[in-house]
Amino acid sequence: MKRMTKPIIEISRVDKYYSQDKRVLKNVSISIEQGEFITVIGPSGCGKTTLLRMINGLTNYSSGSIRVMGKDLEQWDWVDLRRRIGYVVQQGALFPHLNVRDNMAFVLKLAQKDGLYTKQRIEELATLMGFDSNQLDAYPAELSGGQQQRVGLARALAANPSIVLLDEPLGALDNITRRGLQIELSRMHKELGVTFVMVTHDLFEAFRLGSRVVIMNEGEIVQVGSPKDILTNPANSWVKKFVEWEQLLA
Amino acid sequence: MGDFLVDIVQAVVERKEYFLELMVQHIYLSLTAIAIICTIGISTGIAMLYVSWLRKPLLGVVNFIYTIPSIALFGIFIPLVGIGYLNALLVLVLYGLLPVIRNTFIGLSGVNATLVDAAKGMGATPFQIFIRVQWPLAIPQVFSGVRTMVVMTIALAGLASFIGAGGLGQAIYRGINTNNSSLILAGSILVALLALAFDFFFGIFENYVGLRPKSKSAKVKLIATLVALVILLALSSVPYLYSPKSSRIDTIVVATKPTAEQYILGDIISILIEDRMGVNVSRKFGIGGGTSNIHPAIISGDIDIYPEYTGTSWLFVLKEENSPMDPDTLYNLIRSRYLSDYNLVWLSRFGFSNSFSLAVAESFALTNSISTFSDLSSKSSNHTFGAEFDFFEREDGFRGLNNTYNFNFAKVRELDINLKYQALANGSVDVINAFTTDSRVRQLNLILLEDDKRYFPSYEAGIVVRLETLTRFPQLKLVLQSLNGIIDEEAMQQMNYRVEVLNENPSSVARDFLLSNGLLNDETND
Repeated sequence: MKRMTKPIIEISRVDKYYSQDKRVLKNVSISIEQGEFITVIGPSGCGKTTLLRMINGLTNYSSGSIRVMGKDLEQWDWVDLRRRIGYVVQQGALFPHLNVRDNMAFVLKLAQKDGLYTKQRIEELATLMGFDSNQLDAYPAELSGGQQQRVGLARALAANPSIVLLDEPLGALDNITRRGLQIELSRMHKELGVTFVMVTHDLFEAFRLGSRVVIMNEGEIVQVGSPKDILTNPANSWVKKFVEWEQLLA
Repeated sequence: MGDFLVDIVQAVVERKEYFLELMVQHIYLSLTAIAIICTIGISTGIAMLYVSWLRKPLLGVVNFIYTIPSIALFGIFIPLVGIGYLNALLVLVLYGLLPVIRNTFIGLSGVNATLVDAAKGMGATPFQIFIRVQWPLAIPQVFSGVRTMVVMTIALAGLASFIGAGGLGQAIYRGINTNNSSLILAGSILVALLALAFDFFFGIFENYVGLRPKSKSAKVKLIATLVALVILLALSSVPYLYSPKSSRIDTIVVATKPTAEQYILGDIISILIEDRMGVNVSRKFGIGGGTSNIHPAIISGDIDIYPEYTGTSWLFVLKEENSPMDPDTLYNLIRSRYLSDYNLVWLSRFGFSNSFSLAVAESFALTNSISTFSDLSSKSSNHTFGAEFDFFEREDGFRGLNNTYNFNFAKVRELDINLKYQALANGSVDVINAFTTDSRVRQLNLILLEDDKRYFPSYEAGIVVRLETLTRFPQLKLVLQSLNGIIDEEAMQQMNYRVEVLNENPSSVARDFLLSNGLLNDETND
């Protein structure tokens, strides 16, 4: 892989123990460039979500080091770091007491951005996501699952982050909606040039969206590479089996 | 039914100033309690969210307080803060804390963890997470606790009158003690209406701060509600600002036990003081628990004067043995003990004794020529005796009486306390036990027999005053002494009859009595 810029996220030799004999991450290292779309996939309990949540400090690690945007995680102020990183979780996790507009503006309001700026930004996001002004006044309960996740996405993008972390964002959606949103995610990634790191359990999704795919098993990164690399040159028999087996199910 | 409602409305209209005053006391007490409960309860609930080791002990304590009967809680605080407003406020606050603390904590901790996590992941500070996510989502739960507490507090404030803190409960309690059902119902209905009105106000408030969008009309309703509450609080605090605290020095507090007779005596004392001395009298009538709560309160100075009975002082307060004694000797003994032990003065006796006696029908007394217990004893084998079961149980009841007089009744019957008079009237019993000033003695024209061996202790009614109050008001002694010996048993029966049977107001009965005895200065109808 050509190295175009300094890595925006650099994880090296990270271990995480839940208890003395329960190690959930084993010597994990990966370097992520600005503008990549990284998808992380592996069986349940392989540590993929744990790894993702370490990047914005929601989960801590036991040893090793993580650098984000050129600065060691230890040196970041958590609030400052998290406001520069978009965060999308399953089903959007929208705030039920706020309407679409206020949900989208949540991060901007946390940072006490200027009201006029916020208003303009919400309009831009609404256009990007295809919401009309009526829908901006709706409450999450009045939206479909796909619409909710679009709001979740808009909320994560509102503060123009350089990195967006997505934790199984399309997991709870039906197939048709999911396919539609996959296309949009891909389009947005290209348009905005932001670094996406997405955890998924859908192999098709991982290979379709990822510029590189990270395959994890039992707390270790088994293989990292472009979808084509992995499909043509699986690192070992487990990866080969995992890729085939999962494809059969998809 | 219609008449019934008319009676109640009439009861309120006739005494509208009385009810207004009680209502104002009730609202003031409830609102201050509610404000304190909300402040303490909600902040405690919040503290529990962040400090996990606080949860178990705090919930344990408030749960425990909740299990103590409220009446007992009022009693527990008497030695600490005396009787009255402060005591009532303390009990209301302690009682109301549980639903508010619990609901605040449950509401906050029950907020979907994913939402809290998402907010944290987006860079919300702990304070922002609280203000923007946890609190707004907990509001419905918090408010349901607050509304439960509000209704409960207003109802519980109805018990505040037991310890002299006023409120609408006073009307209910007075109704119970003077056998006046329209007074009971009027008081109860007003308490219920008050609770409903408050619940309605808080409902509007909840709608406004709740989840849904804030329309213009919701805002107007909210402002109207807040303004109404503030005005209510301000109005109800007026009497407190002007009277008790500022003028405790020139106010005399008169208390009574919860009986019709005591209400009348209390009013006789109060009206006389107001008329002769022009001093403010604060009436704490119908204190629940009677002497057991009034005696500590008069010692501590919460009360200046109350009517008491010699027998109660001797047996219950001084805890002496019951022994046959001449009433004057008893009075003098009590008088000197009260002065030396408690700095209290027994001033004047009204002239009647409210003690146990035996009652018979007038015709029965005449035909059998019976006028004393001993007369009855010699002829008892032909007659039937009736009393409530209590009288057969107590040491100083039937057993002791039998030992002293050697009664030998043909038949002894246990009767309901309220049915024994009927039983006597229709001839199913010949003799019953009765209080000497009972209004029904007069109503049914009964004859009270003389306790010639002085088996029953004497319960002469008199006035107990703080020595300190007598020195503060030099005139007071003379004024109270003018009540010495002016009410005999028949006169007391007559007055009890007017209150308990005719449902007249104790204060008008008291005023009539003072007027007819020429004791009031401003006699206008003479």
